[in-house]
Parts: sequence; structure tokens; C-alpha cells
Amino acid sequence: MSKETTQTTYQIPIGPIHPSLKEPVMFKFDIDGERIVDVDVELGHVHRAIEWTGMRRNPIQIIYLAERICGICSFVHPLAFCRAVENACEIDVPERADYIRVVHGELERICSHLLWAGVAAHEIGFDTVLFLTWEVREKALDLTEYLTGNRVTKAILTIGGVRRDIKKEHHAKINETMASLKEGYKKLAHAFLDDKTVKMRSKGCGVLTYDDALKLCAVGPTARGSGVKKDVRADQPYTAYGDIGVDYITPDVLTGEVNGDVYDRIIVRLLEVKQSIDLIEKAIDQMPAGDIVSEPKIPKLLNQIKKIEGEGIGRDEAPRGEVIHYVKFDGKSETPYTWKVRASTYANVLPWIPMLKGDQIADIPIVAASTDPCMSCTNRVAVINNATNKNYMLNKETLHNLSVMKTRRMIH
Amino acid sequence: MGFSMLWPVFKQMFKKPWTNKFPAKYQPNNTTKYLADVAAGKAKINPPVPTPEGFRGKIVYDTEKCIGCKLCIKVCPCGAIEFKEKEKKVKFYLSRCCFCSQCNDVCPVKCISMSDEFLLSDADPYSKDLIVE
Amino acid sequence: MSAKKTEKTEKMLTPEEVVKYFKDEFKTKIKSAEIKRRTTGSKKKEFVNIWIKIDRSIFKDFVKHLCNLTYPHLAVACGNDLGKTIELVYNFSIYYGNHLEELSLNVSVDVPKAKPEIETICDWIPGALITEREKQEMLGIKVIGIPDERRLFLPEDFPENVYPWRKDEQTKKELEKLYKNLHEGAKKK
Repeated sequence: MSKETTQTTYQIPIGPIHPSLKEPVMFKFDIDGERIVDVDVELGHVHRAIEWTGMRRNPIQIIYLAERICGICSFVHPLAFCRAVENACEIDVPERADYIRVVHGELERICSHLLWAGVAAHEIGFDTVLFLTWEVREKALDLTEYLTGNRVTKAILTIGGVRRDIKKEHHAKINETMASLKEGYKKLAHAFLDDKTVKMRSKGCGVLTYDDALKLCAVGPTARGSGVKKDVRADQPYTAYGDIGVDYITPDVLTGEVNGDVYDRIIVRLLEVKQSIDLIEKAIDQMPAGDIVSEPKIPKLLNQIKKIEGEGIGRDEAPRGEVIHYVKFDGKSETPYTWKVRASTYANVLPWIPMLKGDQIADIPIVAASTDPCMSCTNRVAVINNATNKNYMLNKETLHNLSVMKTRRMIH
Repeated sequence: MGFSMLWPVFKQMFKKPWTNKFPAKYQPNNTTKYLADVAAGKAKINPPVPTPEGFRGKIVYDTEKCIGCKLCIKVCPCGAIEFKEKEKKVKFYLSRCCFCSQCNDVCPVKCISMSDEFLLSDADPYSKDLIVE
Repeated sequence: MSAKKTEKTEKMLTPEEVVKYFKDEFKTKIKSAEIKRRTTGSKKKEFVNIWIKIDRSIFKDFVKHLCNLTYPHLAVACGNDLGKTIELVYNFSIYYGNHLEELSLNVSVDVPKAKPEIETICDWIPGALITEREKQEMLGIKVIGIPDERRLFLPEDFPENVYPWRKDEQTKKELEKLYKNLHEGAKKK
């Protein structure tokens, strides 16, 4: 690059499929040396036309379609859809069902944040912490299988309530799992928050300021890590969160200051695991007796929905942020006229741009993973160096190694 | 520099691994020969971790009780159920099934139930094991 | 334009006062306003949805007026194809950050199919870029002044002028050509 060229920046495309990006997303970085100068994001690689498919099915079938929008948010999407239909058709959910929904929602949040903690540790280079974290997560998944019949696709929701009850004989296993999760949480908090290397590696990189987070409508821990207090569980009462009471978790709860970098987001997610364990215990204690579903006979329910004309919204808090579903019925059939889904990661795409500008290439995996996008895949990265006109490929191992080597440089 | 991870790593050396060694402890050199040995009773398979009660596995269908109301076909999200016109009974294609057990919930005479069988993979999606009728 | 929120000194209006705030400014251009209240849980806590229908000509001023009241959070913009018009529903939420006081504000704007245009709100709320790009490609709405007008979700080889969320006959035929029916084929052997 010491030759006389007018261009000193070169472009790296990363994506659409890449190990540290959990959704297939295409990034194009303009790089000057090791620093990122500009970022461009292109989406659309896993567009599956789910909303179009859903507008041809009846609401019971759409619940299972919504469950498969995302593997790890497989409780919040059906929940938002059911709440949208319940708000449009004015169906009241019994109280016991609301508390059971809280238990399952928080259990899913624990599983998701533990998975994320393992992946973040892997990107920094601590593979031991990855396996220890996922061992703790196995206990939570075993509890999910015990309560719902499957580890991932839970199939526990229906319009107007839930399908399975949490009975007294289940309480023993729930209490045992909560005790072991608390043990696991202490180990994790020690491994992440008390460790000097993690702090050195993640402080100061991937900064999202308070103003940017507000203007770009960021949601979830991405927004809360920058100090913006947005959490649907605490803002608007839904299911039983209004009764139990939820606090906003921002980094100043632990450290007293807000920087908006990757370390702050680690703090927010780990504290949320602790909060979820407490919420599950409170929900089990305060659960009232009663029905679990407002209309158990499905043909009657579908006939009720057929006559309604109106629109409704369901919003709730996924592990990654706010999820909103919009449903409109036209009174002529039970198939919805319109169904619109907005998953939380699509609101967190624009914040990637200010976060990545000014950082180094080796920071790309940890910063992209810190917003916790949704799946995980593999591919290679092509680097085109305009100045010397040479092309070379950086494969998955090399990019990951760049990140690990930076950690080692910082330790020494 | 924190040595905080040294103690847990040291403890790991003395702990028994958590993995359940299903189906065998080491990969056999010749898989078909191993399966033939198991069928003849000469070798054993470690059983998988037992499934909890309420697990949603393979569909079990009681043909006698079925009344042919077609409600299961209406609610199936995958289109895995077909109606047999002449006998007024249904047929399940398990290669399409997503094991949601909605058909189980909606059936008025409770002729459908979910067993705990989950080892269902097969090379042919329409083989006899994967069609329940 | 400042995006700062001063939570402690902010005075929060009740839903009726919010509706009055807009009706005072825009008078007859607000076609209808409805407040829906529902309860949840054992203690019957309430949550409020406000649905307002406005005329297309005041849309940008409406958003500016809303930003002057309190900086909103834009969730998404949904679109309905109603035959001769396309109805866009923008879902805002205000007063987040205060426990259990958030209000959902849903603003519907009707746009005629013959001239489907609407103004962008990206200069007030930069986070609206993604949802506006999606409406452009899915419903064929032209957003005037949008900073980036490339396609978002549809692939590059998807045909031009075919808008998947529209419900007219011509769109259905074009989509049938692209959509292969999975129920035919080997299943019914």
C-alpha cells in the first residue's frame, strides 16, 4: 500500500453466511489498514415468505408456523401471535394460564442467554467457558423437555391459554433445576465479570451511544446496554409480569456507569439470567388455581374467530428484544386477512453500522455476536486488495484465529 | 491476570464425563457387521437417556375408535394427514409430521396418542415404518 | 432535532389527553380515534392501545408533532391491501422507561393504489429505514425522500412490478408461476 494509488481503502465482503454471524447477513466493509471506515448491510438471505404462507392457513396452524420462525425464540413468536388474536377478538385469558406463560417465557430466556454466553466466550477464545456454560444449559433444556415434551419446539401455546398444566408433581423437578441453575450462575458471573481478560478485550469496542440507540430504535439488551430503558415486560403489562413486577436492567446497576460497549451488554445479559430465575420462582409461588384455557374446544374457537372483524397487536419481550405481531381479520373467514411479523433482530440491524465503524477487523466477530442475532452457519470471506490486485481467501478458521490472537496479544 | 479458571479445569480431570455413550462406547469398525451382531444377540447397545412422561414421539392410531370427522386434517399445520374416502379413516405420513400433537388434542374420541419412540430415521420417506394407518 | 429523553421531568398525558393534543392541532384531518383498554393477570393491570386514522396530507406533520411531545419508538409499519386503497399502519409506542405506563399508538394512513406515495419519516426517526424499504418492495409504495431505496428482502432476480402482499388477480397469477405446489408430487403415491 506504499505504491502511489489514489485508493487507500479496500472492501471486504463478509457473508452472507459466516460463523460469527448467526443470521445470514451480507456485510461489506471498507477497510483502511486494520480499521473499519464504512459498513454496508444487506439482508434477505433467509427470507422464507412466512407471512405469505400464514395468510393461507387458519390460526391454529399459524401458531406452529410462527414457532418455526426462529429456533431459539420459539416461545415468544407464538405468544405474540396468540396475544394479537386475543386482542383482536377480545378473548380473555385465565389467570393461571398467564402465570404458566411467564414460567415458560423466562425458561426460554435462560436457555437463550446461556447459549449466547457460550458463543461470546468462544469468540473471545475461551473454549473452556463455552463447554461449562452449555453444561449448565443442559439442565434448563431437560426441564423444558419434562414440562413440554420437547427441548426446542415447545408447542405449549394455544389461543386463549396454554395446552399443558404445571401440576404439584412437577414442582420438585423445577425446584431442583432452579437450585442447580443458581450454582451455575455463580460460576458464570465469576468467569465473565471478575475476569480481567474479558474486560480488557471487550471494553471500548462496539460502542453504541445513548442517542444512536434511541434514534435507530434499537431494542432488547442492545438498547439497554447503552442506557436506554426499554423492556416490554416492564413497560406494558402482559401475561402476569404486571403482577410480579420487573425492573429495567442497565449496566449501571452493577458498575455505576454506562458506556454502551460489548462489556456492558455482557453485564446486562448475565444479570437478566439471575432475574429470570427469580421471576420463575415468584411465578410458581404466586400461581392461582383455575382453568388453563378459555375455550378448550377448537372448532368452537375457530367459529368464534370467523365472525370477528378487527385488528390487533401482540408485543412481547424476546431474549433479543421486542417482538411485535399484527393481525387483521375481515369477518368472512378464520384465515387472517393480514399477518405481519417483526422479529427483534431486524430492529437491531441498523445499530451495527455505528458500532462497527472505527473498530478493527478482529473485533467483527465479538461485536456482531454481542447483539445476539439468531442462527449459526459457516462460510468463507473473500478479501480483494485493490492496490495490489491480488485476491486471497480468509476462511472461517482464519477469521476466528484473528480474534483469538488479538486476545493473546492483549494478555501479554 | 486471573488464574480463576485453573481450579474448575483441574477438577474436571477427576470427574466422570457427562456424555451418555449411546449407542456404543467407540465407533465400530464395520457398522453393518455391528448391527448384525446386535440382532443375533452377540453385542449390546447402550440405551438412550430415557424420555420423560409426556414426550411427543411417534403417533399411535387406534383405527377402531376413529369416526372420520376430519378435524385432525383441519388443524394439522404440515398437511401430514390424508383422508381415505371409502373406509372413512385417516392415514398419517410421518415424514411430514412435526410432532406438535395438535391432532391428539382435537380428536373428539381420543383415538390418537403419542408414544415415546423417537428413533425414526429412514432412507425412504414413504417406507412402511413411517406411515401409520 | 434532539433525541434526548428527560424521564424524570417528563409529564405524561393520559390517553384521552394524547388524542386531544393531536385533535387540537389537526382538527378535521384526523378521521377517527379509538382507545382500547384491556386487562391482564390476577391484579387486572390495564394496557392501552390508541388507534388513530389520519389523512395522508398531514402524515409528516403528525410525526413531527409526536416527536415534539416525546420521542417515540417505532416498532414496524404494517400494510393492508384493501382493494382500491392500501392502508399503512405505523405502530409507535410512547412513554417507555416508566413502569407500566407505556401507551401504544397506532396510526393508519390510506394511500390510493393509483398513486401509492407517502413521505419518509427517516429525518425524524432514522430507525424507520428498514421498514420503509420493506414496504416499497412488498406493496409497491413509493416512499418520497428515502435515503436508500434498494431492495431489502426479496432476491435480485425477483421480477419487477410484482408485489407479493397485494391481493389483486394479476399478482396472484404471477406468484402462482413462482410457487410450486408441494402437495402435488410424490406424496400421494
